[in-house]
Amino acid sequence: MSLIHTENLTKIYGSGETAVTALDHVSIKVKEGEFVAVMGPSGCGKSTLLHLLGGLDSSSAGKVVIDGTSLAEMKDDDLTKLRRQKIGFVFQFYNLIPVLTAVENASLPITLDGVRPAEARKRAAEWLERFELGERLNNRPDQLSGGQQQRVAVARALVAEPALILADEPTGNLDTRSGDEIASLLREVTKKYGRTVIMVTHDPRIAAYADRIIFLKDGKVIDETILEKKNGKNADLLAGKMKEIGD
Amino acid sequence: MKLQLTLAWRYLKGRKLRSFLTTLAVVFGVLIIFGMNIILPTMLAAFNANMLAAAGAVDATISHQTGGSFPPEVADGLADIDGVRAITISLNRVVNLPTDFVDDNPAITDRISAVTLIGIDPETARSLRIYQIQEGGRFLEPGDTAVTVISQSLADAYRVGLGDRIALPSVSGVVDLTVVGILPTRTVPGNEEVLVTLPQAQTMTGQEGQITAIDIALDTTDETERAAILAEIESAAGDSYTIGSLQPGSEMFASLQMGQIAMNMFGVLALFMGGFIIFNTFRTVVAERRRDIGMLRAIGANRRTITAIVLIEGLLQGVIGSGIGLVLGYWMGAGIVRLAEAPMNIFLNIRMGNPVVSPTLIATSLLLGVGVTVLAGLIPAQNAARVTPMDALRPTVAEMETRHRMGAGAIAGIVMIAVAIMALLTGETSFIALGSLLFLIGLILVAPLLLHPIAYAFGKLTALLYARQGIGDLAHGNLTRQPSRVVITASATMIGLAIVVALGGMTSSLSDMLNSTVRSSLGSDYLLIPPSISVWSGDMGSGPELTERLQAIDGVGDISTLRFAVTAINGQSISLIGINPETYPRVSGLDFLEGDETAYEALAEGRAMIVNGSFTIALAGLEVGDTVELATPGGDQTYTIVAVGSDLLNAKVVTAYISQANLAADFNRTDDVFIQFNLLPGVELESVDSQIKEVAANYPQFTVLAGRGYIDQMLELVKVLFLGMYFLLAFLALPSLIAMVNTLAISVIERTREIGMLRAVGATRKQVRRMVVAEALLLAAVGTAFGILAGMYLGYVIVKAMGVMFPISYMFPLGGILGGIAIGLIFGALAAIIPARQAARLQVVEALRYE
Ligand SMILES: Nc1ncnc2c1ncn2[C@@H]1O[C@H](COP(=O)(O)OP(=O)(O)OP(=O)(O)O)[C@@H](O)[C@H]1O
Ligand SMILES: [Mg+2]
Repeated sequence: MSLIHTENLTKIYGSGETAVTALDHVSIKVKEGEFVAVMGPSGCGKSTLLHLLGGLDSSSAGKVVIDGTSLAEMKDDDLTKLRRQKIGFVFQFYNLIPVLTAVENASLPITLDGVRPAEARKRAAEWLERFELGERLNNRPDQLSGGQQQRVAVARALVAEPALILADEPTGNLDTRSGDEIASLLREVTKKYGRTVIMVTHDPRIAAYADRIIFLKDGKVIDETILEKKNGKNADLLAGKMKEIGD
Repeated sequence: MKLQLTLAWRYLKGRKLRSFLTTLAVVFGVLIIFGMNIILPTMLAAFNANMLAAAGAVDATISHQTGGSFPPEVADGLADIDGVRAITISLNRVVNLPTDFVDDNPAITDRISAVTLIGIDPETARSLRIYQIQEGGRFLEPGDTAVTVISQSLADAYRVGLGDRIALPSVSGVVDLTVVGILPTRTVPGNEEVLVTLPQAQTMTGQEGQITAIDIALDTTDETERAAILAEIESAAGDSYTIGSLQPGSEMFASLQMGQIAMNMFGVLALFMGGFIIFNTFRTVVAERRRDIGMLRAIGANRRTITAIVLIEGLLQGVIGSGIGLVLGYWMGAGIVRLAEAPMNIFLNIRMGNPVVSPTLIATSLLLGVGVTVLAGLIPAQNAARVTPMDALRPTVAEMETRHRMGAGAIAGIVMIAVAIMALLTGETSFIALGSLLFLIGLILVAPLLLHPIAYAFGKLTALLYARQGIGDLAHGNLTRQPSRVVITASATMIGLAIVVALGGMTSSLSDMLNSTVRSSLGSDYLLIPPSISVWSGDMGSGPELTERLQAIDGVGDISTLRFAVTAINGQSISLIGINPETYPRVSGLDFLEGDETAYEALAEGRAMIVNGSFTIALAGLEVGDTVELATPGGDQTYTIVAVGSDLLNAKVVTAYISQANLAADFNRTDDVFIQFNLLPGVELESVDSQIKEVAANYPQFTVLAGRGYIDQMLELVKVLFLGMYFLLAFLALPSLIAMVNTLAISVIERTREIGMLRAVGATRKQVRRMVVAEALLLAAVGTAFGILAGMYLGYVIVKAMGVMFPISYMFPLGGILGGIAIGLIFGALAAIIPARQAARLQVVEALRYE
C-alpha cells in the first residue's frame, strides 16, 4: 500500500508569457519503508516536487495524497499539524535555528507538538546519541561542522517519529565523507526504523543508497530505476543515466 | 509557551546591542511619565500633611470655597446648632518675608521665610485650643493693639524676649508688635504663627471686617453623631463654604498641574518614539529571520506560535524596559522632589515627605510601556506569521510581499496626512494636537511611497559614481533590489530628525515669545516685587498709601499695580488679578490672543474679565462673550469674558483679570501685591531713585528694582529655563537618534554577505568601505531632507497649538535645521563607518558564510 502518491501533479510559476511549468502532470507512488531518490538536471522541478509533497507549497493542478488524505483540502493549521506529526524535513541550507542548541533544535517538532520540555529533550538526545552527537548536545549550530549540523537536522526530522522523511539535497553542502554518512543514515532510517524517505539529489553516488530512483526532466517523470542490490556499480549506472538525460 | 520564551530570550541575547538600544527607547518613555507623575502627588501630600498638622484640635474648619476672605456674619447661628460646643472666627494670612528680614544677617541662611499671621478672638479662641503661655507672659486680650503672642522658636529666630518687639510687613508699612506672651517651641510642620487680635490682623492685611476661617469644636466623639452635626453646619453655612482644611495650596497646585500636563505630553511623545523604534526593529528582525521562521513553519510551528514568538520578544523588552524605566523614573522623580525641597521650604514653608507612588501610577506606567511595545510588535508579528515555509527555502519572495502591503499602508498614510492638514486649518487645538499625531503616523506609512523613487534614483547615482571602479552595477542593485531596507533606514532617519527639528522650532519660538513678553510685561522703569512672584496668595501687599506716596514724588508717571484674590467657577479655582484698566496698559500690558486693547475699557465699565490661555484650557467651552458666575464672599457674581490675553507672570496659572474696583467691591481686596511704574519723560533715574527707595523702605515686603535690571535678571532666568528645555529635547531626541544609527548600522550588517561577494569579485577594502559609507550617507541625506520638512510642519503645528495659551508665533528654526542636517549626516556616517570597517576587514569566505 502506498504511503504517499500524486495524481497529475502540476505546478506553474507566474502567469502569461513568463509562466514556468515546474511540474507537468507528475504521478508517482511511494510505498511505506521505501527509500526513493529523485534525480534530474538543475531546474527540472525536483525541489518543487518535494515542497508539494510536504505541503509547503500548493499545486496548480492535480493532487498529493498522504495516508488517504488530499493535501489540497487541508487548512493551514491542519497542514502544519500534518508536517509536525507525519513528515520530517531535511534541507540543503539553513537547516537549524541559530540561537538554539543542537538538542533544542532536534526537539523542536515535538516541543511544538506540546510534549513536555524535559521529555522532548530526552527523546531528542537519544536520537542525537544514535548519530554520535552525544557530546555536542549543548552546542549551537555555529559551533558544529556542516556534517554535524546536517545530522542534527536528520535527528530533528526523526524525533517526532514521522512516517515520511523529505530531504532536499541533504548532502549538497557536504564533503564526500559527510555526504556518505548522511546518505547511509537515511538508508538506516528506512531499514532499521521503517520510515519512508524521499530524497532529492543530483549526485549519483548518493542516489545509489536508495532503493528506487525517479528521474525528472522539464517537470516530467521520464524514467524510473529500481536498484536491486548494493553491488558498487549502481553509482556508475546512475551517472550514465544522468549523462543520457543530458545533465 | 516555554519554547516561545526561550526563543525570544535567545534572540534578544543574540543581538545584545540592538536589544539594549530598543529597550532603551521604552525606558525613556516610562521614565519620563513615571518620574514626572511622582512629583505632583508628593507635593500634594506635603501640602496635606502640613494642613493636617495645622488643623490641630479643631473638629471642623469652615472656609470659603475659594480660600478667600468672607464676612464674619457667616458664623452667626452656627453656635446654636445642637452638638456644637464652641466656635471661633479668625483671619489667617501667610506672609512671605523678604530675605534676611528676621535675622537681618545675610551670612545666615534664612530659616524663617514666611509666617502665618493669625487674627483671633481672644475670648472664644481659648475655648477651642489650649495656649500654654510661658511664665511671665499673658495671652491676648480683646482690645489689644500692636501686641502679639509667638512661639519660643520664633522668638529665638527674631532674637527677642517678652516685652521686645518684632517687625512684620503690612499693607500700611512695617508694623512693630510687642511680644506679650510666648508659647512653647513649635514642633509641628508648617509656618510659624504670629497671633494677634482679629482687628489688628484685619488692619495689617487691609481686610477690614473680613475673616477667613470659622473653627468649630463639637461636644461628642461619636462618629455618626458628628457626621450629622457637620452636615447640619454645612447646610447652615451655605454652598459657597466648605468644611475641612483650608486650601491655600490650590494656586500652586494649578500651576504644578500645567507643568505635569506638559511633561506628560513629553512622555507620551517619547513613548511614541519608542513604539516606532520597536516597530522598526521588529520589522528588521522579522526580515532578518525569514529563514528561521520559514524553517519553524516547515517543521510544524503554526502561525499562532510564530506570532507569539515575536510578541513575547516585544513583551520581554516591554517588561524589562518598563521595569528599568520605573526604577530610573523613581530616581528622577525623587531627585526632582529633593531639588524642589529647598524652594518649597522657602516659598511655601512646606516640608517635603518621601516621594508618593500610587499603585495606579505604577500600573499605568507599566501598562503604557508594555502596551506600546506589544502594540508596536503587533504588525511585524502578524507579518512574521505570514511567512511561509517556502520563504525558508527561497531568498527573494519576501520583498514582493512587503511591496504589496505597503500600498494599503501608503493610502492610509495619505489619508492621515490629509486629515492632519485639515485639522490644522480648523484652528481647534484639540484637533490640531490629534492631527499632529496622525501626521507622524501618516508620515511613517507614506515614507515608503516617497522613498521608492528616490531609492531608485540613488541606485542610479551610486552606479554612476562607482561605474569606473567596476562595481557600480552591484551598488546600484543593492539599493533597488532591497527597497524595504532602504525605506526603513531612511524613514527612521526622517522621523528622528523630524522630532529634533520640530522641538527645535518649538523651543526657538517659545524663547522668542518669552523674550518679548518679558519686555512687554516687565518693561516699566521701576518694579516693586514681592518675595514670591508666582504664588501671590502668600504675599503681603501694600495699602493705597504706598502708591499715593510714590505718585507724589516729582517725576513719577503712571503707576500700575496688580492685586490678587482667589475665586472659583463651578469648583475650578481661579486666580483673579485686579488691574487698573487705565494705567496698566500704559505701564505694562497683556498680549492678546483674542480681542484687543478695547477690552480694558470693558473692565472699567462693568463686571467684565479678560482670561488667560490656561483659563481657556481649564474651562474649555467658555468663549469670549460668555458670562460666568464667579464665587465671591458675598455670593456669586456674573462676569462677562471680554477677551483672552496673558502677561508673563500669570501665564501658567488659570487666571482672570478684572478691574481693581470690582476686586474691591466683590472680593474685599485692595492691597497691591506687585507695583510697577514709569518715570515722566526726560526724568533721570538718579534724580528720583533715592526718594523712591526711601518711600519703599517702610514696605520691606517689596524689593525695588529699576526695570532694566530686572529684565536682564528675568532673561537670564529664561536662558536657564531653556537650557533645561534643550536638555529635555536632547533626552527626547536621543532615542530617535539611536533608532537612526540602529537601522543604518543594521542595514550595513545585513549586507555582510554581499560585501563578501564584492570582495570576492575583486573590490579592494577601500572600495568596499567607500561604497558602504557613501550609500549610508546618501540614505541619511534623503532621510534628513524629509525629516527637516516634516519637522518644520510638526513644529509649526505644535507652536500653533501652544498659541492657544501664549501669544506665540512660529520662528523659522534655522539653527535647528542646520543642526538637523549636521546630526543627520554625522550620525549617518557614524552608523556606516564602524560596520563598513568591519565589513571591509572581513575575510571573504567568512562574509560569504554569514547568514
Ligand atoms: N518561485 C518561483 N517563481 C518562478 N519560477 C520558479 C520559482 N521556483 C522555481 N521556479 C522555476 O521552476 C523550475 C523548477 O525549479 P526547482 O527549484 O524545482 O528546480 P530543481 O530541480 O530543484 O533545481 P536544482 O537542482 O537547481 O535545485 C525552474 O525552472 C525554476 O526556475
Ligand atoms: Mg533544488
